[in-house]
Amino acid sequence: MTDDEGLMLAIQAGDAKAYEAAIRKYLKSISHFAFRMLGNSKDTEDITQETFLRLWTHADSWQSDKASVSTWLHRITHNLCIDYLRKDKSSISSEYEDEHEGSDRPADAPEKTQQLEALRQALEGLPERQRTAIVLSHYQGFSNKEVALIMDISVDALESILARARRSLKAQLKQ
Amino acid sequence: MNMTPERFAQLVEIHGSRPERWPADERIAAEAFRLADHQAQALGDAHARLESLLDALPVPAMPGLEQRVLQRAANLTRDSLLDRALDWLLPHSDRLLAWIWRPALVACLPLICGIYMANFFSFGIPGQELAWEEELSLLALNDYAESAE
Repeated sequence: MTDDEGLMLAIQAGDAKAYEAAIRKYLKSISHFAFRMLGNSKDTEDITQETFLRLWTHADSWQSDKASVSTWLHRITHNLCIDYLRKDKSSISSEYEDEHEGSDRPADAPEKTQQLEALRQALEGLPERQRTAIVLSHYQGFSNKEVALIMDISVDALESILARARRSLKAQLKQ
Repeated sequence: MNMTPERFAQLVEIHGSRPERWPADERIAAEAFRLADHQAQALGDAHARLESLLDALPVPAMPGLEQRVLQRAANLTRDSLLDRALDWLLPHSDRLLAWIWRPALVACLPLICGIYMANFFSFGIPGQELAWEEELSLLALNDYAESAE
């Protein structure tokens, strides 16, 4: 039995300590995924809270032979983000800029700052499925098979989406 | 496996510029092709630049998020009295079964209240003590009737 299986069995049995351990283990990954999908902290927090609420209330529906805990949680987050984006597209706002102003990171060269801004806009402008594929593949580090599982599409369809997304980002950065 | 410019472009667009993400059965051929072909080299470099820019896009710190999520989790897992009663009644039940039992227990409440109230109030019905005395006097009459015979 893997650590994750043990953790999930304990959560299924109602073990609050195991639930806390799972939150600590996956919080960063889930909140970063939600932020890269939604672009602002407030909605990210709502979606993150809801994901972990479902970890507790829907733990019984996790099956070890179908998906890892990480894949399962990302799938929940993905579905919540998609529901949110489809309901209220107008409320999406980006905090990447605000964060640059307030962060302690050394300032990037102006040319790089421009490129980053162009990339941020290009990412936000990507169709929802292309953005999801890039975020899950590049940032979250999932294999194509796992990304396909999270997005509930075939691996062939995912690969076509990823190729289009990378082509599109590269073309927009060239402009 | 033979690598063509078209297949190399596909590989990089699907899997990115890092060879460790390429399919194992095509990795050696693709790496060799990249070293030998200038266009493949340029394409790989362009994707590597894109990936390095993607890496540079930060996610802001969300102060207190972990604390708030854990706080909500603690509220969620703190069992109510009813939950504890259900766990005691049905120790090995899953949550769904417990949720089915909950309305059943609620439906039983009036019955339990009725039994409890009837224990304290007579509602005009003679109490047990009186009935017992009546029974004794009836028995006494019976004895008297038998001895008179």
